[in-house]
Amino acid sequence: MTLAFVGGTHRTVPLALRERLAFSAEQAAEALQRFRVRFPGREVVLLSTCNRVELYAAGESSAMPPPTEQLVSFLAECRGIDAGLLAPVLSGESDEAVVRHLFSVASGLDSMVLGEPQIVAQVKQAWALAQASDTAGPLTGEMFQAALRTAKRVASETALGRERLSIPSVAVADFARGVFERFDDKRVLLIGAGKMAHETLRYLREAGARDIVVLNRTAERAGKLAARLGGRPGTFADLAVELAAADLVVSTTGASAPVVSLEMFVAAEGRRGGRPLVVLDLAVPRDFDPRIGPRPGVWLYSIDDLAAACEANRKSRQREMPAAVTIIDEETRRFMGDLHHRSTAPVIEQLRAGWTETGAAELDRLFRRLPTLDAAAQGEIRQAFERYAAKMLHPPLTSLRNESRAGPPHGLLDALRRLFDLKE
Amino acid sequence: MIEFVSGISVVCFTASYLVALACEASRLVFRSGVRGAAMIAFGAAGLVAHTIFLVWRAANEPAVPLSSAFDWYLLAAWVLASGYLWLTISNPKTPVGLFMLPVVLGLIGAAQLSSRDPFPQSPATQIWGAIHGSFNLAASVAVTIGAIAGIMWLIQAGRLARKQAPTQGFRMPSLEKLALTTGRTLAIAAWTAAAGFISGLVLNAVNRRHGLLETVPWTDPVVLRMGALVAWLVIAAVVSRSMARQPDAARTTAWLSIVSFAVLTLSILWGVFGVTRHGVPPVAPLPTAPSEAAP
Repeated sequence: MTLAFVGGTHRTVPLALRERLAFSAEQAAEALQRFRVRFPGREVVLLSTCNRVELYAAGESSAMPPPTEQLVSFLAECRGIDAGLLAPVLSGESDEAVVRHLFSVASGLDSMVLGEPQIVAQVKQAWALAQASDTAGPLTGEMFQAALRTAKRVASETALGRERLSIPSVAVADFARGVFERFDDKRVLLIGAGKMAHETLRYLREAGARDIVVLNRTAERAGKLAARLGGRPGTFADLAVELAAADLVVSTTGASAPVVSLEMFVAAEGRRGGRPLVVLDLAVPRDFDPRIGPRPGVWLYSIDDLAAACEANRKSRQREMPAAVTIIDEETRRFMGDLHHRSTAPVIEQLRAGWTETGAAELDRLFRRLPTLDAAAQGEIRQAFERYAAKMLHPPLTSLRNESRAGPPHGLLDALRRLFDLKE
Repeated sequence: MIEFVSGISVVCFTASYLVALACEASRLVFRSGVRGAAMIAFGAAGLVAHTIFLVWRAANEPAVPLSSAFDWYLLAAWVLASGYLWLTISNPKTPVGLFMLPVVLGLIGAAQLSSRDPFPQSPATQIWGAIHGSFNLAASVAVTIGAIAGIMWLIQAGRLARKQAPTQGFRMPSLEKLALTTGRTLAIAAWTAAAGFISGLVLNAVNRRHGLLETVPWTDPVVLRMGALVAWLVIAAVVSRSMARQPDAARTTAWLSIVSFAVLTLSILWGVFGVTRHGVPPVAPLPTAPSEAAP
């Protein structure tokens, strides 16, 4: 075993326990230092996000990574949790399964929201912290770099993570942005104070919206909201006027009947000067009369319309899963091949050194016997010897490389050691 | 080097544009990490070959550079191909090539069917000929860009009306941007087409005065089609402007732009296949008749 992993995610660890298990950046740095003292010579990276806590350990021949039980105990000790509580909810893996798991995590395939992109940054941070704490090494280094490469491939070669999944993000990015090129010259009208409106406004602000009017039943509440959201307050009495001036409306009242009737809209329509109007009606029941939707220049989206678009996006992401898994399989095979080939390095080194030394000794003897040879002739003979050695070594080295792709080439290494009398 | 440059033919850049178009079309079928680079590479290769071809012709033709119908179509295709490359680099997610490259290829096809002989000219008509050709070129490019923006507007509006999220690889610009483009190009097309038509009349008068060409009669297909195109574009621009404050103005302008392109296409087909005295050398020298009105 060269690579080991233990960890738990939102799927296996209950929220209460996950909260206790989570590491802050300082706590993670401290845990890495503790690991280095406890298991000297091993490499370790700790990945802790709101949805997962995972420990990746690596080591070679003289210092193999600790077994799963010890890793679980270590995590429990770091967070002051009874190891008995953690053991049933944490899982452990070794070697290829560790690589495949990390590649899946970095690519967002193991995330709560399939394909979410934030995990890549979190994996990078975990790797950077391990480097800063001096607990990273060549094995984890190559593995994490390969994981980031895999995540990049999945992001560029599949549509996983492309489509948005939250209603506010779909409303702004897929619909409002489809109508308007820019928002810094648009008037945004917020009717009501639903929770989803806040998030929608956050996206609109990020898109550049600055001119925001907040309407509420009471002036006091509208004032508070406007102050918080950086807008201008108003009451429902201003609705008809504001409707004529608005470019985009976000409506989230708790009213039991439509707040904007067709008649009210038609009356305001004439004063709009033909400007298009986007209405994001996030209220249930709806705040806008659905008959307003087909009016020319109006783009009306109810929460059901937006939810349907989100669901279509979710299905679209699911359809990308097989392509993403294929990439992860390819990258895992490649990484494991390189890792196995890496284990053959000492044998290859000995083999090359043996041939070089023998060749050099024979050349010395030959040159002593033929003292009349000038430097140019000696150089030609030396190069011929080197070419011969390289050609003779090529087939066994190629066989080693090919064998490494399928797994550690123990049999071949053993045969080479015995055939060429190499040391362990 | 000269051998290489002179060996570049219409087939070279047409093939490059065709490959770029195939890459654009593949957006609808599968995703690829290298497609963007391939599209830009083939588009740029086509444009470089196209440029070298035109420069070579301009440098080696005995007449005024690029003064045949063949050159005019190729120059229009070059302007649109340049626009395609610029838009693809600046907006890699927008499949603008799906709309622009077929027009580029169509113009190259029209060039192949047109005469390579330069229009007869003299020092007296060269400037008016250049002005006439340039305004017509600007009008045609403006109409084409406007129509492409109009089609994109209708596709985007259809997607938004069906309440569908954007399709991967087929992301359209915003309605606001497309409406602005259709409105502006329609106005530019009307002005430049009118200027092209008027400069054509002046050119015809100068030709007649100097007895350089046969008089192009009012009933000549070229005069009729250009007149019809100018009339349509002016009407379309006026209608579009008068509707600017109507809620459905953008949709109307999109349709007007598309119809303008249809009128332009018919006009080009008429020019390619119709019989005309436009740009034809005189059979015999005309007697000088300066007092006679030019068409």
